[in-house]
Amino acid sequence: MDAMRTTYLEEANDLLSNLERALLALETNANDKSYIEEVFRVMHTLKGNSSMFGLPVIAEFVHDLETIYDKIRLGEMQLSKELLDCTFSCLDHLKIIIHDSDLSNPVNKNNHETLIHQITNFINQKGLSTGKQEQANSEHTLKTYHIYFEPHASIFNNGTNPLFLISELAAMGVSKMIPHFKVPEENQEFASESCFTYWDIYLETEKNDKDLMDVFVFVEDSSKIEITELGSLDLVNNKEFDAFINRGIYKHVKTDLEEIKAFAGKLQELSSGKTETAETVKTTELKSVKKEKVEKTISSIRVSSDKLDELMNLVSELVTTQAGLSLFAANNKITELEVITENVEKLSRRLRDIAFGMTLVPINNMFGRFQRMVRDVSGVLGKEIEFLTEGGETELDKTIIETLTDPLMHILRNSLDHGIERAEEREAKGKSRSGKVVLKAFYSGVFVYIQIVDDGKGIDVDAVRSKAISKGIIKSTDFLSEKEIFDLIFYPGFSTAQKVTDVSGRGVGMDVVKRNITDLKGTILVESKIDEGTTLTIKLPLTLSIIDGLLVVIDHVNYIIPLSVITKCYAVNNKDMMGSFNNLLILDEEQVPFIHLRDEFGYSSMPNAQSQMIVVNNGERKVGISVDTIIGEYQAVVKPLGKYYTKQDFVSGASILGDGTIALVLDTNKLIELFIKKIQTEEKSWQLN
Amino acid sequence: MATKLIRDEKTEATKSFLSFKLAEEHFAIEVMKIMEILEVPKITKVPHAPDFLKGVVNLRGGVLPVIDARIKFGLQPIEMTVDTCILVLSIGLNDETVTVGAMVDSVSEVFEMEEKYIQPSPSIGSKYRADFIQGMIKEKDQFMMLLDIDKVFTSQDLEAILEPKTENQVA
Repeated sequence: MDAMRTTYLEEANDLLSNLERALLALETNANDKSYIEEVFRVMHTLKGNSSMFGLPVIAEFVHDLETIYDKIRLGEMQLSKELLDCTFSCLDHLKIIIHDSDLSNPVNKNNHETLIHQITNFINQKGLSTGKQEQANSEHTLKTYHIYFEPHASIFNNGTNPLFLISELAAMGVSKMIPHFKVPEENQEFASESCFTYWDIYLETEKNDKDLMDVFVFVEDSSKIEITELGSLDLVNNKEFDAFINRGIYKHVKTDLEEIKAFAGKLQELSSGKTETAETVKTTELKSVKKEKVEKTISSIRVSSDKLDELMNLVSELVTTQAGLSLFAANNKITELEVITENVEKLSRRLRDIAFGMTLVPINNMFGRFQRMVRDVSGVLGKEIEFLTEGGETELDKTIIETLTDPLMHILRNSLDHGIERAEEREAKGKSRSGKVVLKAFYSGVFVYIQIVDDGKGIDVDAVRSKAISKGIIKSTDFLSEKEIFDLIFYPGFSTAQKVTDVSGRGVGMDVVKRNITDLKGTILVESKIDEGTTLTIKLPLTLSIIDGLLVVIDHVNYIIPLSVITKCYAVNNKDMMGSFNNLLILDEEQVPFIHLRDEFGYSSMPNAQSQMIVVNNGERKVGISVDTIIGEYQAVVKPLGKYYTKQDFVSGASILGDGTIALVLDTNKLIELFIKKIQTEEKSWQLN
Repeated sequence: MATKLIRDEKTEATKSFLSFKLAEEHFAIEVMKIMEILEVPKITKVPHAPDFLKGVVNLRGGVLPVIDARIKFGLQPIEMTVDTCILVLSIGLNDETVTVGAMVDSVSEVFEMEEKYIQPSPSIGSKYRADFIQGMIKEKDQFMMLLDIDKVFTSQDLEAILEPKTENQVA
């Protein structure tokens, strides 16, 4: 039963994230039928799964949702912003109740009932709209007006009944009347003979505004009457429009006419012929993309990550054994054996490539979540944000993707919160009203780059600098390059100031982001221009489990140094190293501090006369690391050392060589850190003595 | 149903144990915890690691950390002989299962014993930490200590034991 439940949850999670993706796509392309189909299909599958696994509560809930989208699919209902919002809340609710299918938590139960109520409302609404829709569609010469009618309180005194006026208006066409009620002020007595009612009227009619004004001819002096033409569209029956004007009704919020006009204009633009062609092009384009996606889902199957890990282990073992075989064949010149060995070598290499490729997953899986977050956050912040993703098909190791989600989420949120300005502010600067945030991923060599580009206000270099000075991170006399100043935002504690937003806002928890990225053996780079925006570039290795390294030997023990940090290798005489003052060597006319690994790791045997000095990058500076001999380049499958060696973090893992022995993979940055720390404590004890 | 009940009773009552030697002392571990017994392969030492961590070995493509069980129990480090071998143990460490190798002087035998014959260990005056010992077993006139390996080989305990020693090294 447990295994079944896990399967269900796995599938449900997948389905829900598919649903989220489809809904987000639907929100931006409301006219695209294919997304509606997708939404419907996902809901249908989820319903089926839920009832199959004996979860009637979820099944029924999804069934109701599905009914709505079925109607939309068949054109019996129209998609509205309200409905989408409701669907998103349902989605969030589903994410929770798949773990609580009995609604044992009262909060869930409460939410459940509220949502069901909302859904039923939507389903019932459809009955009203279908009939009129067709009728309205045939009338195109009509115009829609908005009439604001607020009779004077004493209107009843001269014998006028405002309801007669209203019904006169109603007779002129299709209308929607929204009455509002003025609440008498606190110490004012309720006067039964006064009028407290006023109306927002949406009227679709062939008559012109003069005709409409005529209705109010007897009361126009004492009442407030505003007639506005909204457009030639049949707005009254338009579901989207309806939803739009209905928003504030129950909250007694006065509808903003400007907003309604703008919305009506937008609707009109959408349905006008001019944009239609563009729209259809877009639709076909999207369809082709979608088709590809469908094919993909069919051709992929679910494999548990445990099995994959096991496969990876076996494959690397095979590669190791194969290396042993090659060695044996080379030593025992048997022609047949050599042929076989060569074949095995080819096969195992291909097998290895495929096995490692399997643990790579497209970044897209992660992008979906961001889309949702951007939608929600921009709603909360009240900013207009256009969020684009590129290169979602770029593949990365699954463990990297998991670890990457949080830091990226953080960076994005910062971009939205502090980077992008409010619409008015942007307009004043001569930028487009809506801010743009682009999340892109692409390959370059053995690295994957992930960029978050925004066109917001950028980071103020001077502000960051002065803040760093005030926090005592740098001295006012320090001269820092722009890059170094940007790097300050990653300084732990930089973020703890209360008013980070005043500076740049890029500081909140960025030290954690940086640490996460560094843990993934990645780097992060900030570029920013005031008022033009900020670009954060994260550079990551494709996978953590396989690296290009340099195989070296110290006293018969193998070590691997990642090729990515190495700049150059030199042969040096041990004499020079021993005699060097302060562990400094002159290499290529440059002073390079070095670490004598043989000493450092405590090997007591006599070294050869010559050592190899490997110069590696340590941030901005170069540091030499001495080893006995260099064997050559080696593609290493890196395995973790396990829980027992957590304090030896200068070893980032181990790799098994062809002959079955283990080589330790060195993390040179950590090694240098350790060395510096050791020297510092030594210096301290010197001073004490 | 009935057969199952009988089997349950049986497994509850008797367990299999493996006995091994460290210096001149006899110890026992539940066989269930032991995955395999290895000859000592080439061990790669990790620099700057505490003494009891012998290094890592290649266990069919995986990396297995190896612990010198003698140092762990405060004895002299193991001297390699033909009998020296590594017990590959599967232990529970903070809700996770971790595989670790324990190097011992020699393994003796596998025997079955009813649980009721496991005697509580006399904790006073013992030179080993009492909570590492699950109990005492007497097999063929030989007393041996039954180890609670989940406790013995958790890294926290390892640190706790070795902390004073590492301090001495620094000083």
